[in-house]
Amino acid sequence: MTTPAAIKASLRGDNALPLRPASQVMDLERLGAMHQSRLSFMRTLVRKIMRERWQIEPARFELDQDGYGTVVYEIKAPHGLFSFVLFSNYLAPEDRNDRVIATQWDLTMALVDGEVDDIYLEKLRQNVPKQEAGRVDSRVFVLSRANRSARNFDYVVNQLAQGEQPDVKKIADVGYLYRTTAVYGSGKLGMADWEKVQSRWPDFARPFAAEMFVCLMLRNFSLLQAEHIAQHKAPDSYQPMKPEIKRYFGIGNSTGLGMAPYLINHPLLINQWVEMRELALARVRVLGNIDARMLQQLKELVQRSAIHTQQIMTEDDWQTQNNVRVLEDLAALEQRVEEGVEDWDSLIHWSEENCSLQGQELLVSVLLELYPELVNDLEDYCSAEEFLDLDPLMPVAQLKEVIEQRYDWALNLDFGADGAREIFWYRSEEKMEPRLGNTTEEDGKEKQMALGVGYAVRKCYDQLSEYVAEHPEHSTARFMVARPKLRGIVRRIQSMNRCIYGDIQANLLHRDVLPMHLLRAKLAFFGVSKFDPRSRLWVRNTMFQGAPLLEDIGKTFNDDWFMPLAPQQ
Amino acid sequence: MNISMNELKAALRRCFEATGYFVGNYEDAANMILWLEKHGLNGLGELKRALPYIGEDREKPLSNVVYEDNTSAIIDSKGRSALNCIAASVDLAHAKALEVGIATVTVHNCHNRKFILKALTDCGRRGISVAAYWQNGSQTITEHTAAIKAGDRYPSYSEATTSLEASTDDKQALTIICSSRVDLTSSLQHSRGNRNASYITPEQVALNKEHSVDNGIEIDDALWAEINRIGEGVLVESSERSRQGAGGR
Repeated sequence: MTTPAAIKASLRGDNALPLRPASQVMDLERLGAMHQSRLSFMRTLVRKIMRERWQIEPARFELDQDGYGTVVYEIKAPHGLFSFVLFSNYLAPEDRNDRVIATQWDLTMALVDGEVDDIYLEKLRQNVPKQEAGRVDSRVFVLSRANRSARNFDYVVNQLAQGEQPDVKKIADVGYLYRTTAVYGSGKLGMADWEKVQSRWPDFARPFAAEMFVCLMLRNFSLLQAEHIAQHKAPDSYQPMKPEIKRYFGIGNSTGLGMAPYLINHPLLINQWVEMRELALARVRVLGNIDARMLQQLKELVQRSAIHTQQIMTEDDWQTQNNVRVLEDLAALEQRVEEGVEDWDSLIHWSEENCSLQGQELLVSVLLELYPELVNDLEDYCSAEEFLDLDPLMPVAQLKEVIEQRYDWALNLDFGADGAREIFWYRSEEKMEPRLGNTTEEDGKEKQMALGVGYAVRKCYDQLSEYVAEHPEHSTARFMVARPKLRGIVRRIQSMNRCIYGDIQANLLHRDVLPMHLLRAKLAFFGVSKFDPRSRLWVRNTMFQGAPLLEDIGKTFNDDWFMPLAPQQ
Repeated sequence: MNISMNELKAALRRCFEATGYFVGNYEDAANMILWLEKHGLNGLGELKRALPYIGEDREKPLSNVVYEDNTSAIIDSKGRSALNCIAASVDLAHAKALEVGIATVTVHNCHNRKFILKALTDCGRRGISVAAYWQNGSQTITEHTAAIKAGDRYPSYSEATTSLEASTDDKQALTIICSSRVDLTSSLQHSRGNRNASYITPEQVALNKEHSVDNGIEIDDALWAEINRIGEGVLVESSERSRQGAGGR
């Protein structure tokens, strides 16, 4: 058991562990090179469910032979009883659309506090399938929808109906039967606010735990539905799917730009996630004992990571090249480990000199994997109180120094250079979908979202420098009365200065910005794998591949589904 | 209708952003309204009264400090709504209190002063005690006071209808007392002629919050529609070109 005081002492002061510096860690390209780890939210959720042996049983199972209808699961967790409600409806192939602007889906779902009776179910049926066009109440805390991967689904059903198992090679290509296209929580559409989830429902009191749980339940249902349809199609020849093949099915996810503003608008929370991951690495670097058994485990994980990477299918050239480079890195790493490892610090330094960013960050995830006893307890410290408070007493000269020290990356950017401010981020009138525009070619720049933190810091610094020259004795409070337009950025600068890692270091207004890095960073914290970019603005990926099945709850569990591999057939 | 606190906050942010509030100010404004409503202090009622005028502040000059010494300041808010200027006044009182122990800031020409409660609460949470007093009304004068102790999460709030004469040179004033040394509490005196007096304790404010966390916020349909209508000002018209900017192929 760790404590907040122990964490604080490890981060700052005489007894602090050697953390990687913010200039290295908060670089956007590096954040976009991160991989899942044992601190990822899917991993921590599954550990919790398995350790606490949640009881999850269908309370209502009303599916016709084609798999359409209503299913309600009841979840008995240590602190409460919850219901997972799912509606399965026919969707014509031409109506299937993964974008936010879609209006119909194959499956729609809700996670609800307590038991669901007939009256309440009817209320949900009137609203949940409509998603954004419906309304729910604060008993509901997650809403989601999913579309079928038509090719895979029909293939799997036909195989099972014929008494055959699905070909694992095909699952390696597309490792899911459904893709979720949005998972809503935190008070959207009338749902319970995060404040309620966190304070009333301790079983889901970690960031995104409830959202991840809905995806896990969807994964379970997708397998159950495929078996159900196959069984009705050919009761005589039908065979259920083998558990090891089932476990290799995850849930597909399609993530677009919507996730990017979240990272910029929740800087304290993102900093907290990064701090815990980096603290875990620092603990391993200093405290991780190395013996023959540990080295053997390291080699196995490196080899597993290589096979996992080989099994990723993507049509995207950029990602393909990245994956090839990671494979080269892993081969070099294996050789380096063969030569002997004295301590993790030198291996990490070796990777920084010899591997790509993706290779370096994969080594970080592998090292965390080796030491559950040094890493797992940090999972309880991934929440943050998100107050961006002004420090009114700070002298303006000190505020200037803070910017020079903590935002040197922003001051070093040339915002007058060609392309440096060519992009603007905005909300479309179409379902408020976040989009990117080009300032030289499109209208709407005046309505842009305030995501250009680096540029805002630069403007603030210039005005502050003039002000300091005139009023060197003034406090920040006095500066704020004189320059109220800067209130937002000054508050942010001062608040992030209180953090170890602070803001993401990137110019999001640059013509060449890759929002993909932002998406991938957040998805890695969630714990997804198999990134398959579909453009520079959205990415498909796989959640929960290799995770235990619902029927595995209560059985032995080794928490070892990192970089899952195709089962041998 | 019933909405979540997060929905209200997001819609208010868009509403004030569309009205021309600066980055930082539109979050403050949304948080001030939400805070009052969430804690049972009628933030939406206050907003309803303020809403027809919020666009006017764009044309008004910025607040300025008309007098200042170590322990006090007078700020002229130039007829602006507290939603976009009061946080900076509380910050100035906060900074002075940290320096000298106790400080007073008087704000003139400031509307919607009840929204100061969120700024007071932020001070309390951060270890500073604050009290505020103001009068309101052009015909019937009401008086109001709120205070929070250092380290507390919830303030007390009192209001009463007075028998005071309306003054033609009403300055829309508000007095803020802030201390890093003394715990300030405040309640209205039983002044002659006062009626409809109420005193809400910090404990009651905390209970009101629990109710909102459990049940969300009730809002008048027309007000909700109006907040959202104004907020549409931040949305950009959709086109084939813009759809590509969402990542579509």
